[in-house]
Amino acid sequence: MTRAATRRREGNVPESKQPVIETRGLRKVFRDFWRRPTVEAVKGLDLTVNDGEVFGLLGPNGSGKSTTIKMLLGLLRPTAGLVRVLGAAPDDTRAKARIGYLPEVSHLHPFLTPRETLMYYASLFGMPRKEAVRRTHELLVMVDLEHAADRAVGGFSKGMARRVGLAQALVNAPDLLILDEPTSGLDPIGSREVKDLVRALAQGGVSVLMTSHLLADVEDVCDRVAILERGALRAEGMIADLLRQPDAVRFEVEGLDEPAAAAVRAELEAHTGRRVRQEYPAMSLERYFLQVVAQDGRQRTFALAPFLGTAPADTERLTPNSQLPIPNS
Amino acid sequence: MFPHDGQCGARGLALKQVAAIARATLVEAIQQPVAFLILLSAVVTTLLVPVFQFHRFGEDGRLARDSGLSCMLVFGLVLAAGTAGRTVWGEIARGTAAAALGKPVRRVTFLLAKALGVFAVAAFFWLGVLSATLLAERGSAHFITHEDYSGYVTDVITLALSAAGVAAALLIAAARHYFGRRRFGVSAFVGVALSQVLVALATGFYNRLGQLYPLHGEAACAGCGADHAHAAGWVFYHPELNLRVVPAALLVLFALAVFTALATALATRLSTGSTLAVCAGVLLLGLAGDSLLTGAPFWSGRGLAAGLLPDLQNFWLCDAVARGGRIAWRYVGEAALYALTCCALFLVAGCLAFRERDLG
Repeated sequence: MTRAATRRREGNVPESKQPVIETRGLRKVFRDFWRRPTVEAVKGLDLTVNDGEVFGLLGPNGSGKSTTIKMLLGLLRPTAGLVRVLGAAPDDTRAKARIGYLPEVSHLHPFLTPRETLMYYASLFGMPRKEAVRRTHELLVMVDLEHAADRAVGGFSKGMARRVGLAQALVNAPDLLILDEPTSGLDPIGSREVKDLVRALAQGGVSVLMTSHLLADVEDVCDRVAILERGALRAEGMIADLLRQPDAVRFEVEGLDEPAAAAVRAELEAHTGRRVRQEYPAMSLERYFLQVVAQDGRQRTFALAPFLGTAPADTERLTPNSQLPIPNS
Repeated sequence: MFPHDGQCGARGLALKQVAAIARATLVEAIQQPVAFLILLSAVVTTLLVPVFQFHRFGEDGRLARDSGLSCMLVFGLVLAAGTAGRTVWGEIARGTAAAALGKPVRRVTFLLAKALGVFAVAAFFWLGVLSATLLAERGSAHFITHEDYSGYVTDVITLALSAAGVAAALLIAAARHYFGRRRFGVSAFVGVALSQVLVALATGFYNRLGQLYPLHGEAACAGCGADHAHAAGWVFYHPELNLRVVPAALLVLFALAVFTALATALATRLSTGSTLAVCAGVLLLGLAGDSLLTGAPFWSGRGLAAGLLPDLQNFWLCDAVARGGRIAWRYVGEAALYALTCCALFLVAGCLAFRERDLG
């Protein structure tokens, strides 16, 4: 097996650093009707996403994230620079057959049902009908839309449409998943599920490039991030490296009463000669919300087999809080 | 990962993609209420012509036929251009084109599939209006000499059956929508077109006086105007439809194909309204071009316009069917080649325009 999936499933950290996405000096200038430049959306971007990693592209609105993604997919023509995706040019259909793409807005045909939508996208990959039917069913179960599988998506809420969009991005069991604002429009449970899904896919060896301006989402799932601002790369690196505060140390101790805590603090202050801050950590609001909803019996489950391409859909299921680690919650 | 190596080669994949995109385009187009309304308007207008004829000078059939073919061209043009605009421009604007092209679909494949889907809509429309035209011509007043009656006879049964077919199609579509949650637009569009085809086939079971076949001798034919080779024997099935209209209608279908290609190409860069406006201009100039533009030097403005615009007079030969006239099949074949050339040129231009199009 060549995919990082195998390595991850076997518990090995991927050793290969083969890039799945590579841009050099990537530039995009939008022009008006008369070909006059209106805005330079991306300015000489150098970016590398390696095989098997979850890479986050961060930036405020208008920073060039979506434009970069569209250039990676060949939907926008770069003004200058080099783009290689899975070792090929962006409009190479063989490479595209290995990519799953979730656009910023779930662009769906409003008259099609989720089932028809997934069958339609499956047919664009040349999937045999029988296999497409099976895959469609698995994905509908996965995104919890089986009950609405035969309703036109035109009447769906934003969150439901997002789920259909996510399912279509996974229809070809991609090696590289490109997610543009994947949690946009989702409720906290849906958002948590998507993040869990991304982690699960990454564990299965799928390389993921995601954009978001929800920093907590990126921090939860990404190995490495790049920060764009006004089309230029401002920072890039492993999240742990970027966020580490080398001159500070934090201890977490359970069951320490107040006098003992005060004694430890006094000892540390005497040792360092600096003021020591004492805190009582609280769980995140997201985690608290998920716990409340879970107690209320509304917790949904995720069937993971369709993404991993291993067992049938009903054999491997995941609850948002149990089987997968929840990073930094 | 798909496509499966070995199971689906590049050509096979492209064909599958064309079929999928064209089918989605067809379904999207005919489920729009406007498509159904255009078909309904064309069919009802065609069927009403024989009913509201008062000063006909014995040419009721011709008037019905010409009106039917005119409806076919004008309503068909609006349908084809509007559908192309909505499906190509609309998909680019909505982002569904970007979602499809994010998959392993080439832009050329996408655009050709779109054109094919739009043409399928136009062909369905054409079939319905052609059947309605044949029925309207049969239903309009004809002078007959029959053993029971001589004089002008309007085939009320045929006209009533056609109208009943439309009504039944609408009722069935409504029932399918209510009970089966099927799309009303799709059922109604297909139903109205098919109802006219079925009624046209059913007219073979009775003559203009409403007498059911089998009939013997001249009683079988109530002034159908055809060569009466059957007059000596029993007749079991005789539709009495003027099938000489079919080649003229085929020429109109070719014109619709040209407009489909033109509108698809335009819609890669222009909005639906602009596409419709340009197509209407091309229709007017294309029909008038024969008299306005011919004879001008090639490099003059008029000469260039004459060279670039499709000569639509080639596709409008309804006068040739008058008074027993026929359109030669050879001419139909040549017109098909001309239409194919026009389509190819427009689509190549469309592909070039779409190749560099930013899809945001």
